[in-house]
Amino acid sequence: MLTVWNEFRSIWRARALVNVLTRREISGRHAGTAAGIFWLYIQPLFSVAAFYLVFDVVFAMRQGSGAHSTGVGTFLVVGALPWMAFCDALMRGMNSLLDAGGLLQKNPMPPVFFVVKSVLASSVIFGPLLMLMGLAYAPLHGFAVALWALLPLLLLQVLLSFLLAYTLAILAAALRDTVQFVGFLVSVGIYLTPVLFPVTLFPENWRWLLWLNPMTAFVLAYQQILLQGAWPEPGVWVAVGSWTLLVGAGLNVLVKRSRDQLVDWL
Amino acid sequence: MTEQVSTQQNVLSVRDLGKEYRLYASPRQRLAALLRGKANYRSHWAIQGVTFDLVRGQCIGVIGDNGAGKSSLLKLLAGTLTPTRGTIERVGRVTAILELGAGFHPEFSGRDNLYFAGNLIGIEREQMAELEPSIIEFSELGDAMDRPVKTYSSGMSVRLAFALVTAVQPDLLIIDEALAVGDQHFQKKCIDRIMDFRAKGCTILFCSHSPYHIRHLCDRALWLHQGRVRQFGETEEVLGSYLVHSRLLDEGQPDVAEPQAAAAAAPAGPPPPPADPAQAHVVSVELANLVEGEDMPRLNSKDLVATIVVRGRGDERPNVGFMIEQSKGVGITSLATHEEGAHPVSLGNGLWRSILTFPNLPLHSGDYVISAYVFDESGLIVYDQWFQFFHFRFVSPTLMPGLVHLPHRWE
Repeated sequence: MLTVWNEFRSIWRARALVNVLTRREISGRHAGTAAGIFWLYIQPLFSVAAFYLVFDVVFAMRQGSGAHSTGVGTFLVVGALPWMAFCDALMRGMNSLLDAGGLLQKNPMPPVFFVVKSVLASSVIFGPLLMLMGLAYAPLHGFAVALWALLPLLLLQVLLSFLLAYTLAILAAALRDTVQFVGFLVSVGIYLTPVLFPVTLFPENWRWLLWLNPMTAFVLAYQQILLQGAWPEPGVWVAVGSWTLLVGAGLNVLVKRSRDQLVDWL
Repeated sequence: MTEQVSTQQNVLSVRDLGKEYRLYASPRQRLAALLRGKANYRSHWAIQGVTFDLVRGQCIGVIGDNGAGKSSLLKLLAGTLTPTRGTIERVGRVTAILELGAGFHPEFSGRDNLYFAGNLIGIEREQMAELEPSIIEFSELGDAMDRPVKTYSSGMSVRLAFALVTAVQPDLLIIDEALAVGDQHFQKKCIDRIMDFRAKGCTILFCSHSPYHIRHLCDRALWLHQGRVRQFGETEEVLGSYLVHSRLLDEGQPDVAEPQAAAAAAPAGPPPPPADPAQAHVVSVELANLVEGEDMPRLNSKDLVATIVVRGRGDERPNVGFMIEQSKGVGITSLATHEEGAHPVSLGNGLWRSILTFPNLPLHSGDYVISAYVFDESGLIVYDQWFQFFHFRFVSPTLMPGLVHLPHRWE
C-alpha cells in the first residue's frame, strides 16, 4: 500500500491547493445558474423527497412480511441517498483525470489531486444531506446511540468512493470505454444493491451477487442504523473493510504501473 | 558534448535524463498491460541520456529538428512530464511559458480565474491580492477582469495568462516559442519583460525554431538530435553546426525541397497590406535601375540599391532587414540595421526609410530573390516580412562560374 499511502501524503501536503480545487469544482458545477449552489443540494433532496411523497404520503404503501415495518418511501430513501452519493462521487471521480487532461499537461501537479477534489466536492454536497437524513430518521427509534455509527460509515464511504474512482480514472485514461462500461454498471447497479428491495426479497440462490457490489454492505449498514436504530452487524463492517483493502491494493498496483505515463494518456 | 560548470550557482542540473513513451498497438493493449503488468509495447525514447547544467543568469537556446525531443525536454524541466530515468534538480522558482491560458474556466470571471490559476503555480491568495493590480495593468484587461473568460478573445486570455505566469520573477524561465503572443504591442511588452528578467539575473531556457532569435537572446545553445544532446556550447558554434546539418538534411530530401523551390521561383509579390494600417509593416521596397527582362526584371547596374520604407509601431524606431537569396532559395546574405548600428531615417507620420546600397554587387550572373523585414527597436520581434517577394536577374561582367566575388588578392 506504500504507493497509495504516498498519494495520501502528497494530498495532505498540498491540502491548501486541494481545498481550492474542491471549492472550484463545486462552484464549477453550478457556474452560470441563478440559484447557484442550491441546485446541488436541491436535486438529490427532491429526488428522495419524491420517494417519500409518492410511496408514503400519496399511496401510503407498507412493506410486506419479512421486511422492516416501515413505509416503502421511508425504506427507499435510506438506500437511495447513499447510493446517489456513491454514484456521483464515482462517476465524477472517474472522469476527473480525462477532464483535467489539458491542465495536467501544462501544470506540474499530481493527477490524484483531481480525483480527490471531485470526490470531496461530491462529499461536501451529499455529506450534509446524509447527516440530515440521519437526524430525520432519529425519532423513529428514539435517537438510538447507534446513530453515531453513521460517522465512521460516511467516512468509509468517502474513502472507498475515492479509491474506486481513482482506480477507474486510471483505467479510463488507458481505455476510454471504461467510462461507458461503468456508466452502464452504475445504471444497473441499483438492482444489485438492496436499495429498492430489502435483501430478504432477493432469491437466496442469487444473494451472493449482491456482494459483488461494494455498496451492498454500506446500504445494509445504513438500513440497520436508520430503520432499526441498531449497530451494523460485524459482517457488514467486514465486507466494508474487505472492499476497501481490496480496492486499495488494486489501486496500489495500478498507480505503480501507470505513474510515469498517466498524464501522457490523457 | 556537455560541459562541467561550477556547481556553486547551478539553477538547473540535469543528469542522464530519459523519457520513454510506450506505444501500444491500441488502447486495449494499454489496458491489458496495465491490468496484467505484462509489457507489450514499442518503446520510443523521446529524450535519452541528456546531461547539462545551467548557471544563474545564463540564457540557453534549445534547437533541433522537429521531433528531436525539444518539447519533451521542456515539459520534463517544467515538471509536467515525469522522467522515466535520470534526475532534474531545480533551484528556486521555475516558470514555464509552454502553452498559455490552460486552466481558465470559461464561466468564471478573469479575476476569479486569476486567483485560481495563481494557486496552480504556487501564488496564494494573499500574495495574489498584492500582485493583482500589476497583473491587470500589464494584461491591459481593466474592467474586462470581471467578465466571464468565455467572452474574452483568444488574445485577451493569452495576455492574462502571460501576465500571471510572469507576475513573479522566476529563477528559471522556460519558454517554448511563446514570443509570438498577442498583437505587436503586447509582443513588445512580453519581450521587454523577458529581457528585464534576464537583466535581473534570471536564467532562461528558450526553445525556438528561429536561429535568429537564439543568436540574439542566448549565450549558449543546446542542440538536441533524436533525443540526445548533439552539441552544447557557445551559441555561434552550435548554431553553425546545426545550420550545416539542416542544409544537408534539406539536400537529402529533394522530393520535399523541390516543390518549395518551384514555388519560390514563381513571382510571389508583396503580401497584402495589414488590416490595421497603423500596425508596423513594410510599406514599399524599390530597387533602382531595373529594366524589363525576358521572364523577370533585370538589374541594369553594377550597384544594387534598395529603398525600403516601413511603418514603425508608435514612436518606436524600427529596424529594417534585407536578404538576398538565389532564386532557388539558397541564402547569400542577410543584413539588418540593428546589427550594424545603422538607423532608418524618419520620414514623419510614422514612416521610416533605409536605403541599402551594395556597390559593385559582388554576385555572379544568376536569378536572385529578395526579402525585406521590419523589426522592433531591439531587433527581437519581426513585425512584418515580405518573404522572397521579388525575383530579378543579374548579369555579371565576369564569365567565370561561381556565386559571389570574395574579397581577394593575387600575389
